[in-house]
Amino acid sequence: MTDPRALRLEGVAKRFGDGAGAIQAVAPCDVAIARGTTTALVGPSGCGKSTLLRMIAGLEAPTDGGILFGGETPDTLRRRAGLAMAFQDAALLPWLRLRGNVALGRKLARRVPDAAADDALIRLVGLAGFERRRPAELSGGMRQRAAIARALAGDPDLLLLDEPFGAVDELTRERLNAELAPLWDARGTTTLLVTHSVIEAVRLSDRVLVFSPRPARVVADIAVPLARPRHSSAALADLCEAVRAALRG
Amino acid sequence: MTPTTPIRREALTPTRREALVLGAAALLTPRLARAATPATLQLSWLHSVQFAGSYIAQSRGYWGDAGLDVTLLPGGPNAPVEPPVVAGTALVGISAADYTAAAVNQGAPFRIIGVAMQKNPFAIASLAANPVADPRDLIGRRIGMALANMPVLEALCALNDVDIAGIEVVPTQYDAAPLVQGQVDCLLCWATDLPVAMRMQGIDSTVMLLADHGYAVHSQTYIATQDSLANRRADLVALMKGEIRGWGDYHAGPEAAANLTVQMFPDAGLDLETQKLQAERQVPLMFSDLTDAQGFGWFTDDTVAANIETLALLGKPVSADLWDRSILEEVYGAG
Amino acid sequence: MIRMPRVVVWAALLLGWEVFARLTADGFVIAAPTEIAQYVWRNTGLLWRATGVTGWVALQGFVWGNLAGVMLALAAVLIPRAERGLLTLALLAFCLPLVATGPILRVLYGPGQGPQVTLAALSVVYTTFLSVLVGLRAVPQSWLDLARSYGRGPVTLLALVRLPAALPYLVAGLQIAAPAAFLGAMVGEFTGAERGLGVLTVRALRGLDLPATWAVALLAAALSMAAFAGIGALGRRLSLAPPEILLAAPDDARGRAGASIQGIAAVAVALAVWQGAMDAFDLPRFFARRPGDVWDYLVTAPEAGAHRANLLAALGETLTVALPGYGAGLLLGAGLAALLTLAPPLAALVLPVSVALRSIPIIATAPLIVWALGRGAAGSITVVAVMIFFPTLVACLHGLARAPRPLMDLFDSYDAGPLRRLWGVQLPAMLPAFFASARMAVPAAILAVTTAEWLATGRGIGALMATVASTSDYAMLWSAIAVIGLAALATHAGVAALERAVLRRTSPEQLAG
Repeated sequence: MTDPRALRLEGVAKRFGDGAGAIQAVAPCDVAIARGTTTALVGPSGCGKSTLLRMIAGLEAPTDGGILFGGETPDTLRRRAGLAMAFQDAALLPWLRLRGNVALGRKLARRVPDAAADDALIRLVGLAGFERRRPAELSGGMRQRAAIARALAGDPDLLLLDEPFGAVDELTRERLNAELAPLWDARGTTTLLVTHSVIEAVRLSDRVLVFSPRPARVVADIAVPLARPRHSSAALADLCEAVRAALRG
Repeated sequence: MTPTTPIRREALTPTRREALVLGAAALLTPRLARAATPATLQLSWLHSVQFAGSYIAQSRGYWGDAGLDVTLLPGGPNAPVEPPVVAGTALVGISAADYTAAAVNQGAPFRIIGVAMQKNPFAIASLAANPVADPRDLIGRRIGMALANMPVLEALCALNDVDIAGIEVVPTQYDAAPLVQGQVDCLLCWATDLPVAMRMQGIDSTVMLLADHGYAVHSQTYIATQDSLANRRADLVALMKGEIRGWGDYHAGPEAAANLTVQMFPDAGLDLETQKLQAERQVPLMFSDLTDAQGFGWFTDDTVAANIETLALLGKPVSADLWDRSILEEVYGAG
Repeated sequence: MIRMPRVVVWAALLLGWEVFARLTADGFVIAAPTEIAQYVWRNTGLLWRATGVTGWVALQGFVWGNLAGVMLALAAVLIPRAERGLLTLALLAFCLPLVATGPILRVLYGPGQGPQVTLAALSVVYTTFLSVLVGLRAVPQSWLDLARSYGRGPVTLLALVRLPAALPYLVAGLQIAAPAAFLGAMVGEFTGAERGLGVLTVRALRGLDLPATWAVALLAAALSMAAFAGIGALGRRLSLAPPEILLAAPDDARGRAGASIQGIAAVAVALAVWQGAMDAFDLPRFFARRPGDVWDYLVTAPEAGAHRANLLAALGETLTVALPGYGAGLLLGAGLAALLTLAPPLAALVLPVSVALRSIPIIATAPLIVWALGRGAAGSITVVAVMIFFPTLVACLHGLARAPRPLMDLFDSYDAGPLRRLWGVQLPAMLPAFFASARMAVPAAILAVTTAEWLATGRGIGALMATVASTSDYAMLWSAIAVIGLAALATHAGVAALERAVLRRTSPEQLAG
């Protein structure tokens, strides 16, 4: 794991506040993630995995340690629009229609407008026919899928997904899991995915990092050496059980 | 007064402010180039027959004859006359001796160069059924007025040995409503506006002119700065010449003057009958034996002395230097 | 058939008005509808031309003033360090009384409409500035993160996120500004104008011409209502949906010490602007006193003690009326907004009356209020409340409409009832707008109380300013202006402190400054 192109977290820690009232959100954390892979971060609610994701996105500065992706700090990476993040609350702009919200991803990333590619992404996340709807007219799950389409529109090297399927219904989720994973595999995108769903983590990712309750600390690092598409199988079930065991501590 | 109270730093060269003002004025009111010297006369109130002599001078070209192109700047509830004259925006302003005295005491370099209203128009108006015909009638009555005019009431009481403590002063807005509504028994106002308005509404009022009870304060006075008196004499003479001709015509036919006023300012919301009555009522204030003998606008050492006495009662001590008759003398000497 | 009842109601109202006016004709307070109609019929041309003049001035002032307000708000968001300074300057400019600005503007512009346009513009800058500033900040954390995650700076954030998010607040600001610009244009005519509705108002009041007074007032009110409704309709056409998510706090909160240093710096800047502007235009000291003159007058002059005593006594009288009026106006505005949320049909009655009260010059309404309530404290407090409740009402209505939908749905799902929903969701959502309007109302209350004192009670600092202006005592006038400015800043700081304490718990995103 010494690939210089990898995502490397060295002693990354986050503390909120100082003195007696300080809260340690993330314990010092050393992780290296290979380029072009998909990694799921799972852990109990409030354990600090979202904070870790925000630090990787450069939205929050670590109190200690450093983060590099392909030799670049999150700040340089952000500045060249090398990363994209899909937020838990979708963060769609209510005055834009769905198409406008997806196009916004390309615009923010300073890419050339490409309506055809935007429409393709909208089809990919299963929202064809809803292009002219406003966010208020979409369900929670639809909004999250729109947010993923927007994140993909910028064609990022590093894709950060913060519980992107929380509000997506089970059937759609399975379909998305099946269709999205090959997509970012093909693009060579390095994907980090925070999720509560063990089955989703195992189905989507090449590797699952299990975190402890706060302060977040990696308690298990489980590789998922399964071929895609991943249908239900004994191996898959075993891996899920391994993750659950790690979560239970 | 000492002859120089240096408020303007550079009297003759155009200042930055003037340059800016000219720029702004050029943007807002594009004017045609004319040969005549431009001058502005700042009026003390909205356009009305109160200034009809000036309108006559303008419409009959009396100023043009004298080589002057006069702009008439209307006043209003919030347009004091003194600042534009001090600033030089207006060559001459229509003020009153008491206002001018106050401004001079605050350092303004004014001179009174002519007096349009020989008798002060301040009056106490009351309903005919409950009249205040003499200063002594004020005792036990409620008078509506702006508190700013307290010195006027105090002076009247002092001049007529009336104990001011016996009068109840009610601060009111300047209109006749508080009187007709019965909130007060009388109003301190001009003889030529609120009583005229009441008359037009069919309400009879008793009007007691303060000037008939010892209150000697020149009103509708022409004021100019000492700087203008030194450096723009010809323009001042020309302006007063036009005024005197205009007001002479007015004296000959106040009704025609009212007609002209309404014609010239169709957007001012003037009522012709009201203007006619006002025109008629201001004649005795502006024209007297003195003006018949010496001409419109004239003042003597005696009238000035009487003014100085009343102004002292008003808490505005001034010396006779405030009045400068040289412009009038030049006009009538040449005329 | 369905429309019949409404016609009947209107006819009954008109008839009642007519009868009441006829019964009180001796009082010369209320004009009868037939008299008003007669006046309008006879003077159609005059009213039409006057409306054209004043309307055009108001429109220009509206455009320039709102443009300035929006620019100031943008500057405050882009340069957070400058925010307090900009706020202070805008607040002080809004506090400048007409007795001081009128003559100066007339001297600067000479004849023409310059002063009217400027006064109309000045009367909207501050309210629009505050409304838009709140709107630019009413952005959830995740939208900010979104832009930041692409490494985009404040300009992109402004263009793509903050500006569109501020649109509904801009609409509210413009609605507040419409009647204010109209009033500013009319009052601007008091500085010396040849024509316009303001000129006609003065003329009608002095002429005891009730039908004319009422016709002009109703005309001004009708135009303001039309502008108010038009802007509202435009806002609805833009289909400005409330945000789907709760707003969140930014991560860069600054310390209180920095804030007070900024405040002191802002006052220094204000003093420099005061001195600098007067020097730049070379305004004569006679009526344009500089800060140093005021210092001399109040501190170093031999009679400074007496000057101070006079001024502070007047200020004390003013505050005893202004503070209750301020409180009453805020409560009235917020209360009406809550009431209209519970019973929307009432809006058809309340909003037009509110707009009317805001757009008719106080010299026209004050006689009516004095007639109804007398010249005591009740009348003055009412005048103040009437002058300030309108911005509060509009801002609060918009604030109430910003209640997050998911929370509304949550309360609905428990069948919570409109009162509980109001208390639990809508009132907290309204708080930023309420406090913004409370800050807007500080200078408005001062203007209102000084006007009421000038016209009705003859007490306090308003009467003092009118008196000293008429006797050219400009040192006292500018001292009064300085003291009023300081009082406004102090009140504003007090309201802002309260706002911080409350919003820290309810709407932390507003606390970026």
